[in-house]
This record gives sequence, C-alpha cells and structure tokens, in this order.
Amino acid sequence: MKQNNRNKIRLGVFVTLGVGLFILGIYLIGDRQKMFSKTFTLSGIFKDVSGLQVGNNVRFSGITVGVVENIEIVSDTAVRVDFSIDEHTKKFIKKNAKLTIGSDGLMGNKVAIIIPGTIGHREVQDKDFLVTTVPVSMDEILANLKTTSTNAATITDDLAAMLHSMRSGKGAVGKLFMDTVFADNLDKTLVNIKQGAGGFKKNMDAASNNVLLRGFFKKKKKDKDKEKEKESEKKTSK
Amino acid sequence: MDLAKNKRPSPQEESEPLFPSLYNFFSAITALTLFTGRYFKSVLLPPFEFNELVRQSFLIGYKSFPLVGITGFIMGLVLTIQSRPTLAEFGAESWLPAMVAVSIIREIGPVITALICAGKVGSGIGAELASMRVTEQIDAMEVSGINPFKYIVVTRILACTLMLPILVVFSDVIALLGSFLAVNINGDVTFTLYFSQVIDSLAFSDVFPAFVKTFFFGFAIGLIGCFKGYYTDKGTEGVGLAANSAVVLSSLLIFIMDMIAVQITDLLY
Repeated sequence: MKQNNRNKIRLGVFVTLGVGLFILGIYLIGDRQKMFSKTFTLSGIFKDVSGLQVGNNVRFSGITVGVVENIEIVSDTAVRVDFSIDEHTKKFIKKNAKLTIGSDGLMGNKVAIIIPGTIGHREVQDKDFLVTTVPVSMDEILANLKTTSTNAATITDDLAAMLHSMRSGKGAVGKLFMDTVFADNLDKTLVNIKQGAGGFKKNMDAASNNVLLRGFFKKKKKDKDKEKEKESEKKTSK
Repeated sequence: MDLAKNKRPSPQEESEPLFPSLYNFFSAITALTLFTGRYFKSVLLPPFEFNELVRQSFLIGYKSFPLVGITGFIMGLVLTIQSRPTLAEFGAESWLPAMVAVSIIREIGPVITALICAGKVGSGIGAELASMRVTEQIDAMEVSGINPFKYIVVTRILACTLMLPILVVFSDVIALLGSFLAVNINGDVTFTLYFSQVIDSLAFSDVFPAFVKTFFFGFAIGLIGCFKGYYTDKGTEGVGLAANSAVVLSSLLIFIMDMIAVQITDLLY
C-alpha cells in the first residue's frame, strides 16, 4: 500500500513535470510570436512581398518587435500586409517610418523591417499605414550580376585580342615588346642621346668660360642670388 | 478412374479459403476493427478501473523514462555532431540549434520515442496478456465477474495513449539538452542564446501536429500489444509470437501513421 502510494506520487510528479514543460514550451513560442503580449496593428501596401509569409518577424532597429499577421492581395499591383507589433515599441515608431522587406542572412527567412522615422514626427497609432519601399529582390541582383558578367566577358575578350595582337608584334606597343630590331634601335638611340647630352654639357661649360658670354652667365647668377635672398627675407618676416 | 477427379469436395474442403494468407489478413483486420470498437465502447462506460490505470501509467510512463531519456540525449547529441560538418561547409553553423530543434520536435523525437516504447511497452503488453490467456487467467476473471477487457485492455491502451505524449515531451527536452552539449564541444554558445535560437525557430505548426500524433502512436502501441496478447493461441509458443508480432506491427503502424500525419500537416500548413 505504501509502495503503491509512493508510485502514485512519482507518477504525479512525472506527469506534472511533463505537462509543465509542454506548457512552458508553448508559452515561450507564443510569447515570441507576441501572442500573449499587448499588440497593435500596422499595415503597408507593397508591390512585391518577395516571399514574406505570415508569421515572419518584424524588425525595428535590428530588434524583433512583432510578426506578420496577414498578407492579402488587394489588386494586381498591390499586396496589403498587416503586422502585429509589440505595444511597448509604439512610442519609438514615428508616422514617417518606412517599411521594407529584407532577409535574415543570405539563406534566412524573410523579415519585414521598419526603418525608423525622424524626430519631431508623431508616433504611430493602431491600424496606421506606413510608407513602403521597394525591396531589392534577388532577381534584380541577379539581373545586375548578369549585366556585369556580360561586360566582364566583353572586356576579357578585348583584352585577349589586344594581347594576341601585341604578341604578334602589331601596333606600337606590340612592336615595343615583341620587335627585337626595334628594341635594338631604341637601345642605340638611348646611348646616342646619352652621349649627345654629355657633349652638350661640355660645350655649355666651355661657353660659360668664354670671354664673350661670361658677362651673361654672371648676370644670370646674380639674379638667381637676389631671388634667393628675397625668399629668405620673406621667410624670416613671417 | 475419373471418378476420383469428379468427386465432390467435402463440406470441410469447401470452407477452405482460396488464398489462406489473404483470408487471414482480412480476418485479422476485421478482428482488430472490432477490438478497437469494443475499446471505445468500454472506455466510455463505467465502471472505470482508475487504480489499474494509474498503475499501468506508472509502469508504462514513469518506468520508461530512463530509457527514453538516455535515447533522447544521445539522439540530440549525435544529430548535432553529424549535422555540424555539412552546415559548416556553408558557413551556417549558427543555424545548428534551429535545424536540430525543428528535426527533433517535428519528427525524430516523436518517432524514435514511439519506436522505443513499441519495443519496450508493446512487447511487454503482448507477452503479459498472452501469458494470461495461455494460463487461463483471463477466463478466470470472466468467471469471477470481472470484465477482463475493461481491467486489462482498456487501462493499458489508455495508459499508453496518455503516457507517450509526456514521454515525447521529456525526450524532446533532453534531446535539446544533448544538442546544446554537442554545440559546445566545438563552439561556445551560452544556454540562453541556444534556447533563444531554438524557440525562435519553432512555430505552433511544428509543435502541435507533432504532439497530436504522439497520442495516436501511443494508442497504436497499446492497441496492437493488447490485441496480439488477448487473442493469442498456440500455447506458450504464442506468448513469444504475440510479443514479437506486437512490436513488428506497432512499429509498422507508427511509420504508416507518421506518413499520414506528415501529409495532413503538409496540407493544413
């Protein structure tokens, strides 16, 4: 009899714990979905909801503040989305806040995002409509990516053709890189220029010591010195 | 010479079914249907064997907890360790709690727990009832004025139906704890963050269908165990056969019911 009673108590604890855990789980899931907290409704009209579903989260400044409550097609170009938002966040959402649709990571669920409004505007009220912005869809990104890749393909084709003609020695750059005679000539030209420059320096030195031209060079030197003095005076006055 | 061929069959030969296995299959289905109907009729009508129900609940639920708990823990641990490399290839390790939670709550938890109970409880019920039948204890009950169906069958089926969902809840929670441990073998995730991610990833559409189907799993285990044990024959050999066929048939039924439940859930959500 005593054992029987003990078993009954054990069973009671076991069942209570099991049921308690289940209720706790349900409460936590419901609480996340704002089922047990006071909420208000906001709505927005979108052209394209990009796969947003009922139950998806609503984020405000990166914090989950509500869930998507209802999605309804109202015309061929408009989809109405109702959001259930936590009452506590009402004071932070201004009338000029905007709604958009984003994604929770690269592979994550869609989320509705409330872009905060500016200070000075009044806070939203229950059943208000917010302005929506068109989300950048994956299709658009892919379309842009396609254009970019087409351009890249054209560029690489042109580059390949250019390199091909360069390797075959066509054009000025091709000749520069591939024509060995041209390179030889260029080398010789550079040597000649170097020699010419050396000879010219010697001539100029001889000319500065010449009786006829000495006065000209002295005058030029004096002018240079004067300019230097003026510059140093300016620096000291400053 | 041809007389033997043209001889009319005896009445005994006439009653022989054309396809014995098919005949046996359909007659078993009929018997099971009648047995189920009798259960539903008996469960609603007094007298109620409450004390026996509590005793059976203790034996089926409480006594199965250690086995279910250990299995659940290993299930969560292994699932997490096995899933990590695949998710890591995509750089999606942070999705591990969500993935494991949905897998466990939706499918693995209920099915594995039900299969374990089919093995432990189903075979036990089958063998117990079969031995009672073989040793004529059931007949003795009838003679002494006790309704054996109410006392033996109804209490066991009801206890299975009520205890399996509770065992599944425990199994799910313990599996998630095992998963939390596995996540922390290679990483560093706090308890709060882990369970926050788990709760975030779950919706009512994950929890309720999974919970509801556990009642059906429990009912199937109890029903098949009792049916096989209650109608056993072939003496002591029948005890083993009843236990064996109870496990096989209830496991098969669990999978079939799970398939149907998944289809219904898919249609509804």
